[in-house]
Amino acid sequence: MGRDIVSLDDLTANNIGVFKKINQVTLPTSYPEQWYKDSLKTDQIVKLAYYSELPVGAIRAKTINSSHKFGSYENMLQQQLNPKIVPNAVYIEVFAVLEAYRGLGIGTKLLNYLIEETKKKFIHEVVLHVHVENTASLEWYLKHGFVKSDDILKDYYKSQGLPNPDAFILSLTV
Amino acid sequence: MVAKKATPIFTSKEDGNFHEALKLYDAKQYKKALKLVEANLKKNSSHAESLALKGCIIQHVGNKSEAEAYVLKGISKSPENYLVDHLAGLYYRSVENYAEAAKWLKAANDNGSPNKPILRDLSFMQTQIRDYKNLKDSRQQFLEHQPGYRANWTGVAVAYHLNKDLGSAVSTLTKIEGIIKEHLTDADRYEQSECILYKNLILGESGDIAKALATLENDKPEIKDLLSYMEYKAKYLMLLDRKEEAAVVYRQLLQRNPDNVSYYHLLELSLGTVTKPVDLRLKLYEKLARFYPRSDPPKYLPLTFTPSTNPKFEEKAREYIVPQLTRGIPATFVNVKPLYKNPKKLKVIEKIVLDFYENELPKINNPTIYVWIKYYLAQHYLYLNELDKATKCIDEALAHSPTLVELYIVKARIVKHRGEFAKAAVIMNEGRELDLQDRFINSKATKYYLRANQVNEAIDTISLFTKLDEGVLNGCKDLHSMQVNWVLVESAEAYKRLYQEYERKLKELKASGEETEESKELENELIENVETYKGLALKRYNAIVKIFKIYFNDQYDFHSYCMRRGTPRDYIETLKWEDKIHATPIYTRVLKGLSEIYFEIYAEQEQKKKEQSPSSEESNKHKKNNKKHKKAKAQTNKKKADFSARVESEKDDEDPLGAKLLSELTNEEGIIDKLFQLFKPLADEAKELKLTNEVLFKLYLLQGKYVLALQTIKTLNKILTTYDDIKLRTIGEKIVELSEVSHNDSSANTAIVKVVEKGLVSAFPEFGTLPKEEFLKIYSK
Repeated sequence: MGRDIVSLDDLTANNIGVFKKINQVTLPTSYPEQWYKDSLKTDQIVKLAYYSELPVGAIRAKTINSSHKFGSYENMLQQQLNPKIVPNAVYIEVFAVLEAYRGLGIGTKLLNYLIEETKKKFIHEVVLHVHVENTASLEWYLKHGFVKSDDILKDYYKSQGLPNPDAFILSLTV
Repeated sequence: MVAKKATPIFTSKEDGNFHEALKLYDAKQYKKALKLVEANLKKNSSHAESLALKGCIIQHVGNKSEAEAYVLKGISKSPENYLVDHLAGLYYRSVENYAEAAKWLKAANDNGSPNKPILRDLSFMQTQIRDYKNLKDSRQQFLEHQPGYRANWTGVAVAYHLNKDLGSAVSTLTKIEGIIKEHLTDADRYEQSECILYKNLILGESGDIAKALATLENDKPEIKDLLSYMEYKAKYLMLLDRKEEAAVVYRQLLQRNPDNVSYYHLLELSLGTVTKPVDLRLKLYEKLARFYPRSDPPKYLPLTFTPSTNPKFEEKAREYIVPQLTRGIPATFVNVKPLYKNPKKLKVIEKIVLDFYENELPKINNPTIYVWIKYYLAQHYLYLNELDKATKCIDEALAHSPTLVELYIVKARIVKHRGEFAKAAVIMNEGRELDLQDRFINSKATKYYLRANQVNEAIDTISLFTKLDEGVLNGCKDLHSMQVNWVLVESAEAYKRLYQEYERKLKELKASGEETEESKELENELIENVETYKGLALKRYNAIVKIFKIYFNDQYDFHSYCMRRGTPRDYIETLKWEDKIHATPIYTRVLKGLSEIYFEIYAEQEQKKKEQSPSSEESNKHKKNNKKHKKAKAQTNKKKADFSARVESEKDDEDPLGAKLLSELTNEEGIIDKLFQLFKPLADEAKELKLTNEVLFKLYLLQGKYVLALQTIKTLNKILTTYDDIKLRTIGEKIVELSEVSHNDSSANTAIVKVVEKGLVSAFPEFGTLPKEEFLKIYSK
């Protein structure tokens, strides 16, 4: 008691299954096994969110340089930043909260954590892609201060087999 | 061991050499000792001491199988030489033959050995073999030798206690108390307290409760274990019918530990409220609940005695359950499950939960509450065996919170109840992958894999929590050395199911009458599988039998340790537990499995005896085929080696697949006798167990011990028949079988057959008056 009912915790080798499960049930996209293994590397920003000690949400992001262009989802997943290039943005790869636990401030808490981490890296921009048909998410991001770019990424989710596979680009200055 | 002190001038050079060798032996310099002894024996091959010592030495270094022969030779040359006797005792102790060890240590002492510690060793042997009669003497003699240690006094008292000579036990303890009183240091206080309570325990057993209570009060300043003091006191007061005083003590005990359910029952007994109206009892518990608001029993216990028809039941149940549901307590179902034995209470509880689900839940903003109530309902319907409803509930919960491990456990259980073991294991494993650190679900997944006969997957799963030495494939060896009996017994049962499955397939194949190349190959493969898994099943079962031998041998250390530490009460408990060790659930499960395999092999042996000749022809046929298979064989050999490495139970296991165990059983005579040896302890320790009597019945029939077989039927009838008018089919069949077998046995003593017949008729009167068919009809339930 007295403690916040929502709390954040680290991802470890032992609870990676939880991360997988949350992604599986909430996101239309899929991730290869190696991608999950890489989650434990230190250059990632990764966190799990717990509601009443039950894991219900997750976020994972990486640093990029926004001058690079990524035409597709796979491209984006595989992209590793060359250590010589200075990153200027944090890109959110996964941001998910179980459906039954939305509207309880869990996403906000995860986002705040991400913003803090971004600032620690002296980076001031957070970017992400949203499927054009995912209006609920879009609204949520806009509500939290993200700005939608006028460009639309054509066929970004094509390989994932989504209908209307285009994506919006959203960004937030921190 | 120590040789004679102040060694005299030896009569012969051999004796001198021998004493030299003995010293070396005591110093563990076995090689040097062996040299001297062998020199002795060269000169005089019948030097008894040297022979015995040689036996002891080669037990440590050299060919163990030859050791006993030397010891026996030494004994036969000079059985009254106490040194020889002592060495023989030491030898038999080291091979854990405690009965022989006791015999020879006693002989050493009787033949005038000046070495008094022999008596102490002897007392350990006697306790180990439960020879309490002689134990008393050896403990007493050792006490006379060393009266300065309290441990030796305690030892004598324990010996008297075990001989049920309670008076002498108490007077021994009282005597040492008096002697030691003035000399106690702080370090002795615990021992003092334990010995005083031990004395009191014996006083209580002796039946003189008033004296026990008076002594207890008198000794109170010396007692450190106040919990035992209070429990003894309350018990004595109850026995003396001073219930009001007892009630006061039980209230004090409740203050110490308000979660101990038995105190509540005892308090009620002392207050005499058990037979009073429910309302009065409810008032009592309401009061107690106010005193101990954080304790479960005062809230739960009223639900056990309030009848479901009393409107108070629903009220109280609601008060108990709803707060737990509101807080989302995972164990809610487990908490109320004992009440489900009463179907009417079950209905009331179901109503309360569903009512909460429909009316209260929507008002709650916390989504986890929804999951926990679905979790409750899934378990509820599973209990009622309404599997479809249970599945629906658990699936809804899983859709809502797929990261909650507990849900997978219940889901797997539901699927298991449908008999789909493999599917259940997959679900359990899905839950396990969410939290690899969770030992509980790891064990569950292991068990479910074993139930699905997937032994490899099971061992790989649990290997996450075992010690893995370098170059080791899995935790199988560690599971053996850590004595993880539940995994071993489940593995054995899985292997048993596997070989039975292959046996079934083999039978089908033979019945189909196919004679093609492929069918031959398939047949060979099936035969091989049957043997492999049968061997492995035997191997795992035997591993547990071995572990239980270790459990029994392990008490050896406590015969001295508990006396020195001054914990005689726990020591007595341990001995009692060891006396019943073979009646524990895991061990009886092992014996059940083993007996089934043994009987099966015996039946095959009998079958073979009938059709002796054709078997040799068949093996020739197999040989012809062999050439073609050579190439394939090399491949399978590698596969086999891998398989063996996975199932090894110890490092460099000589018989990883249990093939040797199996061939010993199948090719040798006396399998029935072996099984009988396994069941012998059960005949004592688990007389009232169904398994014991059923197996012994079969064994006695085969051994021609018909009177004993009759006894097992009578016992079975007693334990299986809970109501007088029910006549069980299995009993009826056994009666007929015994009668027929004994009559058809031409070698049986006719007098005995008559006794058995008479016994059957007097125990089961209808057997004498009705024809067999009619009789069996009565015994058909």
